[in-house]
Amino acid sequence: MSDENNIKRINPRRAYKIMADGVKRIVLGSISDFVAHEATSHHGTNKPVRTPSAPKARVLVIAHSDRGMLDDHARQALAAAAILADANTAVVVLVLGELREDLSNAGADEVLVIAELDYQTFQPDVEVSCAKTIIASIVPKHIFMPDNLIGDGDLGRRLIACYPEKSAATHVIELNNVQVANYQLGGTSLALTSLPYIVLLAADTTDSRLAFSAAAQKLDSTFANQNTAKSQKSNYTNLGMQTISAANIALEEADFIVSAGNGVDNVTTLQALAASLDAAIGASRVAVDDGKFTRDKQIGATGKTVTASTYLAIGISGAVQHLQGIKDCRHVIAINRDNSAPIIKRADLSVIGDAESIMQELITAIAQVKSSAQEAA
Amino acid sequence: MSIKNIVALVSAGRHPISGQARHCRNDSLAMTIGLALTSDLNAENANSVNLKVIHAGHAKNAALTDYLALGASQIDVIPALENADIVDSLAENLKNVDVILMGSRAESGQDSGLLPYLLAEKLNYSLVANVLTIKQTTEGIEALQFLPKGKRRSVKVTMPTVIVIHPLAPVQLRHAYARQANGHISQFATQTPTQESKYSCTVEWQTQSTIRKPNKLKAKENKSGHARMLSATVSENKGGAVVNDGNSVEKAQVILSYLREHRLINF
Repeated sequence: MSDENNIKRINPRRAYKIMADGVKRIVLGSISDFVAHEATSHHGTNKPVRTPSAPKARVLVIAHSDRGMLDDHARQALAAAAILADANTAVVVLVLGELREDLSNAGADEVLVIAELDYQTFQPDVEVSCAKTIIASIVPKHIFMPDNLIGDGDLGRRLIACYPEKSAATHVIELNNVQVANYQLGGTSLALTSLPYIVLLAADTTDSRLAFSAAAQKLDSTFANQNTAKSQKSNYTNLGMQTISAANIALEEADFIVSAGNGVDNVTTLQALAASLDAAIGASRVAVDDGKFTRDKQIGATGKTVTASTYLAIGISGAVQHLQGIKDCRHVIAINRDNSAPIIKRADLSVIGDAESIMQELITAIAQVKSSAQEAA
Repeated sequence: MSIKNIVALVSAGRHPISGQARHCRNDSLAMTIGLALTSDLNAENANSVNLKVIHAGHAKNAALTDYLALGASQIDVIPALENADIVDSLAENLKNVDVILMGSRAESGQDSGLLPYLLAEKLNYSLVANVLTIKQTTEGIEALQFLPKGKRRSVKVTMPTVIVIHPLAPVQLRHAYARQANGHISQFATQTPTQESKYSCTVEWQTQSTIRKPNKLKAKENKSGHARMLSATVSENKGGAVVNDGNSVEKAQVILSYLREHRLINF
């Protein structure tokens, strides 16, 4: 039929490439049909790279890492710096503590890591002298820091006191290129000022998902480290950390939560698992309504909003109301029988299978690891 | 070295809704901790320690009577001068003090939480923030610090020191009208600060009485029309690894190795 009409037919699914900026390009003369080639771009993403090749100015972000990662609050400070930086400004991030992740998607152009200054050790005098050395060498236009309780709020205020001639703002809730805002007079009035030198950002000021990526080039930070090594006699002595047992801690403050939903029949197994992981116990609304857990364990829109770094969701399908309550959790692991449940889309690791037997095996595996660790010690 | 002089700095608070003058809870906690420490040390060694409660502002402020009711027998008021920085006038009066206690954030003024840091820097004292409890040891103060996620850290700090109390400090406030009636408020003589302030209030704030929700800062997306259409029609591929295969032992091992890989467990 097509021969009669003599119309040239074009295969609508010809081979194409997706270029770095996301545009489809048809490859003329190519034979291999039906194959979409992903063009290799920077760090495997097809986001444009922001990093200036010859920066005229720099902004500095200082944050402590937790377990080798920057938490979302620190990433927000980094994102804010990257968004506000113009085309000729590079974003330098100073990470205090070990760093084991790539910060190119977080917007860092240059990365300095001082692994010795972990937040768990209280050494404000060393941190201040290190930060001052780096500030003197970088000469940043602005300094952005998260106003948190793992040491950045403290360090930021110490730096503000060190530079009395510079402008500063704390508890900043809103910022743009021109000005920053915070709440004053006990939260009853909103105050605005022009973008100061040191900005301490409250949580949730910035969307940490960026439309661009950055080079995240690691710089040598030994010049600041030398300062650390020969520090003078300190006013502060660390007497050690205490961790409160997860059973005695409020759910909002817990770092590891094992949470049960409708798929959990045997509560005793769940309690044993939580005890072996030293985790707090939470529950979804269905499990609470069934009377398996008390109301204060409920996580979700009607219950509590948790910020744990690990959230083990067992037999929870993940209704929107429940996902609201765990939106700030860093690592979500799901054990579920249904691989199309909404929690699977949220979880960083999903294991499909029977909750009871996986919990049992997990308890056994943990016991084995613990006993072998004890033998080794 | 033992403690001789303790100072608790108190500020005027205000009720968040009615705006009524009242004590600032953070400062009351600090003052109560100071009172407890003083009475403990004085029980060991009579009249060895002296606690002063100091307020910088106006002696007629109604909020101050709350602090009398909460246990201060006397409040010394340093007058706030128009032309002088509060840090200077406070530093002038806090020179021979071993321990300065205060709350983490005020309820009036800028609420920046900067005052203890500026004071410590000016007086060259050590500083510990987010403190829950304190006790005296042979060569300094031992403080228990609050850290998020159920962690606490104890640190030892040399004196003189500024201690900033965390709002979750385990302290019970006890209000007694008899103490309010018996206590008194005295005013320091007005003095001109000897030197020019180093912290020259470089930030000028414009305040608005209307509270609005803050606007979140977002990265501008310079996408092509094609890309915007794609992001609107194709749902973002979310979610991490999904393990469907294997028996429960293998699945448990997958979870355990994930936890260990991200160092979420320490065994």
